[in-house]
Amino acid sequence: MNIRDIVIGANASIYYRMDFRKIKGVFYPRTDEQVQEAVAWARERGYDVTPKGGGSGLSGACTGGDRDRVMISSLQMKEVLSVSKDQGYVDVQPGATPDEINVLLAPLKMKFYVTPSSRDVATVGGMLNTDGGGNDAWVNGTMRDNTLRAKIVLYDGRLITVEQKSVKSSDSQLESDLNSVGMTINDVASSHGTLGFVTELRLSIRPIVQERLIGGLAEYRDSDELGSTLRRMIETKSPVKYGEAIVAAHPDVRGELRPPELILEFPEDYASNLENITHFRKLTAEELAKLKDVRLKLPKRNPKKGLQLALFEDYGFYGDGLKMIQEGVAGIDLLLKKHGFVPFAKYGHAPSKWYLGNNAAAYGIILHSREIRPEGITKAEVFKAVMELVDLCEEAGITPKPEHKWPYNDKVKNDRIQQIREVIGEGFNTFVLQSDCNVVLSSMV
Amino acid sequence: MLTTTKRAQKKRSEMTFEKCVRCGSCMKICPIFDAMGEEQYSPRGKLYLLQVMDKVESDPELAKEFRRLLFQCAMCGRCTDVCSSDVDLLRIWHEQRARAIKDAPQEFAYLGALEKSLENVKNIYGLSPEDRAVYWLDELEQEIPNLRKRVFPEAKTADVVVFLGCLMSFRASQVDVLRALFKSLEILKVDYLVLGAEEFCCGHPLDLMGDEAGAKKLRTHNKRVIKQTGAKQLITCCPGCLSQLQNNYNFTGIEVLHHTQFFDRLLQSIEPYKQTEEFTYHDPCELHRICNVKTEPRSLLKKMGVQFRELELSCCGGGGLLRMTDPNLSDKIQQLRAAREKLSSTTVITACPACREQLLGNNLKTKDIIELLVTCLSEAKG
Ligand SMILES: Cc1cc2nc3c(=O)[nH]c(=O)nc-3n(C[C@H](O)[C@H](O)[C@H](O)COP(=O)(O)OP(=O)(O)OC[C@H]3O[C@@H](n4cnc5c(N)ncnc54)[C@H](O)[C@@H]3O)c2cc1C
Ligand code: SF4
Ligand code: SF4
Repeated sequence: MNIRDIVIGANASIYYRMDFRKIKGVFYPRTDEQVQEAVAWARERGYDVTPKGGGSGLSGACTGGDRDRVMISSLQMKEVLSVSKDQGYVDVQPGATPDEINVLLAPLKMKFYVTPSSRDVATVGGMLNTDGGGNDAWVNGTMRDNTLRAKIVLYDGRLITVEQKSVKSSDSQLESDLNSVGMTINDVASSHGTLGFVTELRLSIRPIVQERLIGGLAEYRDSDELGSTLRRMIETKSPVKYGEAIVAAHPDVRGELRPPELILEFPEDYASNLENITHFRKLTAEELAKLKDVRLKLPKRNPKKGLQLALFEDYGFYGDGLKMIQEGVAGIDLLLKKHGFVPFAKYGHAPSKWYLGNNAAAYGIILHSREIRPEGITKAEVFKAVMELVDLCEEAGITPKPEHKWPYNDKVKNDRIQQIREVIGEGFNTFVLQSDCNVVLSSMV
Repeated sequence: MLTTTKRAQKKRSEMTFEKCVRCGSCMKICPIFDAMGEEQYSPRGKLYLLQVMDKVESDPELAKEFRRLLFQCAMCGRCTDVCSSDVDLLRIWHEQRARAIKDAPQEFAYLGALEKSLENVKNIYGLSPEDRAVYWLDELEQEIPNLRKRVFPEAKTADVVVFLGCLMSFRASQVDVLRALFKSLEILKVDYLVLGAEEFCCGHPLDLMGDEAGAKKLRTHNKRVIKQTGAKQLITCCPGCLSQLQNNYNFTGIEVLHHTQFFDRLLQSIEPYKQTEEFTYHDPCELHRICNVKTEPRSLLKKMGVQFRELELSCCGGGGLLRMTDPNLSDKIQQLRAAREKLSSTTVITACPACREQLLGNNLKTKDIIELLVTCLSEAKG
């Protein structure tokens, strides 16, 4: 064991205490060829390969679980390779972050519009593999909507380029096989590193539009009222450019927040239409900036006493589910309290868009949750709470965003990944698809 | 695993490193990670190692590697600044460094020499304490005739005490800054004195090594001498000294100021600077982040009408003893910045002797703000 191998386990999920002896090698390639060499090194020794980007994912998938494995990090593949302003795309290596890409695009007055709250560290390779999105996913889509193609090194060393409607490869048989199963970028989106290592992405970029936007804050009696507002916004295809709901916040981090509330930014001429949907108070630019900052930092804040953690990142309320946020959250909180957790914060992009395992788009709110960890709780107890939350969500029709975590929990997505792996071969991040994935993760809490 | 004193270690900083949610926000902004590109060099990586220590078997080689990593840090405080989870990273680095030196002094022999020099001759260079007011005085005496009389104990009392620090007292590369400082004070008729041989190192290097007892001895002496002068204000050009004097000396009745703060307060308006070159401004980490002096340097530049390009709030690579512990890494940080921010075509304005050394050492042009100010004041004086 050496420090380089141990430290590759660092990631933002609650699954970070792994058996480090099972990490057999760590690579930081800079080029496609070096990725191929690293994969070959693993293959020759029969090890699994786990790709890792910024390690900001909250599912634990970038850990590689408990397999004897080789970790390949994209942190040194962060070059912007070329920009085509006319055709609206940028070719980048997988380790670049949205912030890094946008700094380079700014002088061209262009922007890459997928900007999750973690945009300072999340890599575009990781974002495609989790189908990440920002608080404007509602208007700008998720990663799959903005990825024109992705080059991938497979476990056997071959390269494929997956496009929005098809696959290309210099191996015509492989190309034909993958096209016959209809592989597209939808399959790579939220595949959690199970298909191969993404070495390059072509991403859509668009001009920075100089639109006069204003801020608004809408406060609600309860979360169902907030949910109804979101429904109306979705039905009327509201052009809000930034939407963040704060559903609950512990007094330690509440400050001036008055949840449930909705922080919005929208074109000035939409204000009167919005008034027909919800009451709101206009915000000055400073007030809006301050609230955005509070929201951005919410996932990372700690209580005055004790520590916070994210037991279960995403509670997806969409369609009719938006009518029952209040009840859903009450059920979740009851369960949390039963296990000794203190609800700390619940917030999320809203209105938002994400994709279900069958690639259908869902519109609603993805609620992130943080809770205060009870002192002395064992990892088995923590994981028991997580599993009960999963069951509760299934019963209540609250859909965890499969792209974001629990891919193994989404049968449709899981089956599809297995189908493609039958063609391309196995060997990438296999633990995610194992039936005992939950058990593996629980050992790492 | 990493040390034999796990329990003690956990107790000391548990409440802070356990707060790290490993979000990664501190990773890309860290100059060490930027230069090395692997997780173990990032602040998150180092905190993660502390969090999972108990999962790893005891291994002397790992412990050694971890101790080395602790000193591959510029102590620039950028990670602390960016963290929204209340993790006091700088404090953790201080504590862990102290622990590392205690656990394995033999691995830090090169720091031992520095510690000895501070104990014996009270400066970082191992030179005689008497030499503290020799080099620059020889150089500047002719231009500033009364300068010798400004040196304690010949000068006994004054309104303002100038605390030079080791770098400015001994390094030839700092003489231009000293010239500008003394000339500005003379032009503005400030009643000042310099501590000379009675000034000991401020204690900053020992603080960075976690040697609290050694630093305390130096502080006690300096504090006594400064009190004797009856000064109301203490000024220094060195942000490292400033951080010590402001945060660890607990002065009463004496205001501690960076020279940019002192002159910014004193001067409402300044004769415009006749600018012929392209300038950038580099914020010294210890000034900006640790001492929270952000507006005064900019205000002075504005009053002089200096046009400049702001640089990224990143480190020059010269802090945290990195020049001693890993000079190649320290240079690499500066070289990466120079290329990225196109520094070779500009003069980098700054306000820190350590940043100055680092910039000059990498063949970049630099000026302290006081060097610009003195030309404005001389111009006004005619
Ligand atoms: C504070 C905070 C805020 C967040 N906010 C948001 C948000 O607003 N929206 C959102 O969608 N998510 C958010 N997230 C979650 C996280 O940032 C996303 O899941 C992100 O997409 C992960 O990117 P990463 O580079 O960190 O990937 P990692 O965590 O390193 O990996 C994620 C997955 O991608 C795979 N992977 C990584 N790189 C590659 C590659 N090159 N090839 C193949 N597979 C790869 C890994 O194997 C793993 O399965 C947030 C997380 C945090 C900590
Ligand atoms: S920013 Fe703070 S919480 Fe995030 S990884 Fe760094 S130290 Fe940990
Ligand atoms: S103090 Fe500076 S160099 Fe040290 S870990 Fe923090 S950001 Fe990196």
